[in-house]
Amino acid sequence: MERSYNLRSPAVKRLMKEAQELSSATYEYAARPLEDNLFEWHFTFRGPKESDFDGGVYHGRIILPPEYPMKPPSIMLLNANGRFELNKKICLSISGYHPESWQPSWSIRTAILAIIGFMPTKGEGAIGALDYTADERKVLARKSHAFTCNTCGLVKDLLPSEAEHPEITDAESKDLELAKQITFGSPKNEKKKSDESDEKIAETNSDVTPGVSNPSEQDGVRMRSTVTAPSTTPPPPRRRQINQSNDSSTMLIVLLAVAIAILFLRRLDKSYNVSSLLADYL
Amino acid sequence: MAEHNSNKQNDQEYLSAMPNQEFDQAVTTMQNNIQTEIAASSALVGRKEEISRLKAEYSDDDSPYQQKIKELCKLYSHVRKTRGDGNCFFRAFGFGYLEVMLHNKKDYSKFQENANGTFKKLMSLNYPAFTVEDFFENFMSLVNSIGEKTTLEELTQSFVDEGLSNYFVVYLRLIASCQLQIDADFYQNFIDSGKSVVEFCKTEVEPMYQESDHIHIIALTSALGASVRVAYMDRGGEQLIFHDFPEDCEPTLHLLYKPGHYDILYPR
Repeated sequence: MERSYNLRSPAVKRLMKEAQELSSATYEYAARPLEDNLFEWHFTFRGPKESDFDGGVYHGRIILPPEYPMKPPSIMLLNANGRFELNKKICLSISGYHPESWQPSWSIRTAILAIIGFMPTKGEGAIGALDYTADERKVLARKSHAFTCNTCGLVKDLLPSEAEHPEITDAESKDLELAKQITFGSPKNEKKKSDESDEKIAETNSDVTPGVSNPSEQDGVRMRSTVTAPSTTPPPPRRRQINQSNDSSTMLIVLLAVAIAILFLRRLDKSYNVSSLLADYL
Repeated sequence: MAEHNSNKQNDQEYLSAMPNQEFDQAVTTMQNNIQTEIAASSALVGRKEEISRLKAEYSDDDSPYQQKIKELCKLYSHVRKTRGDGNCFFRAFGFGYLEVMLHNKKDYSKFQENANGTFKKLMSLNYPAFTVEDFFENFMSLVNSIGEKTTLEELTQSFVDEGLSNYFVVYLRLIASCQLQIDADFYQNFIDSGKSVVEFCKTEVEPMYQESDHIHIIALTSALGASVRVAYMDRGGEQLIFHDFPEDCEPTLHLLYKPGHYDILYPR
């Protein structure tokens, strides 16, 4: 590192630690900071086995924000792969597109493992995602061996060959677990989904208690209401009402069952005049 | 962050007219702009100010607030502001607690002991030692410095330094998250968004800049054996409302809550 860094800065200490941790390449991936910039890294990884990318070697760039690890890295790929657009920030909950869900305990390795994990998944119109055919991807996987990065050279030489397959470390396997938690896709869609299910719950809720629903109950149904619009009597925390999204479908089923039962009883009533019998009985 | 509300509607119109593809980027840019604006106008942890200075923040005929500020003035002598960046509860708690413990050795050793135990708990939940260790060490070195005759000035220096201060906040968030997960059966009842405790922790506790709710306060105070009183000041009702975490405690730290924000209070 030629540039001098503020060694008191936790971001610098952390990145140096990460560089140390990732200093030796594994069979699947390798990553290192640029010689003159600790906040820009290049990484290389093999396409996952038994996928269209099997045999491919892919190369990308990671830009760390000055606030790292408080804010997420931005990640982009540099050679054609048919899954992610080139030179465009990849949209993962772990990358710069979703700063609201990045966790500071994630690391560059978590991010790389997440990218590898997402290679075989569907793009589904997310930013920077491509849905090339299997054949096109296989052709690109073969071509990837010839790719040379201006900074790093022939990228296929950056990873050790199968013969010298290093073992997975404990820290690495923990990161693999973490990488599985990472979601993929546009936050706008996610948000819509949760809003929809919330609306459903609100509907079922008011169906059950017509005219009784008070404002605080409605608040309870809306997400995060206590944070953005605190009520005048904050304590104690509310117990959850009918809030789990699973509950909304359960509620619908119960409502339908009740409706069917009522129709059935009415029918019975017409044929046997149960209600007058009941009235007599009571 | 009330000053941003006026722009909110325009922003929403602007966003809804936008194709999906550009939406995320626009939101990110907007959030960054707001954060930069806030950062420029206030320190992470401000100076200790006379409590009466709060009066000037509301117009004289704003009787609900002026009434409550009068009440505050009777109980508290000073206030210390924190930056409204979504981390304000954790930062106010962190600074406020350590500040009190500069002169409170009895509570300090208990706090230090509880703090020391948190790393093992996080490891038992399978957190990556590699990164969590980093936060823990930074956290403990600040906590330990309190026992080593550090001055208020040095403590303030650490808390206005963006890197150190945020590292401390990250670890407090991890402590809260850990407590929520260890006692998940209990806390699940308070999560009203349909998320599981783990999901809630991953999306609303551990990420920086996510605002805090009661559940965060309950989890953090119980993990550290800390006691906090929060004075709630908003437009509703005639009087201030106080809430102690845990209930029936003798509070070590006092915080002031105004909708969406926490500051530190100093009792008379």
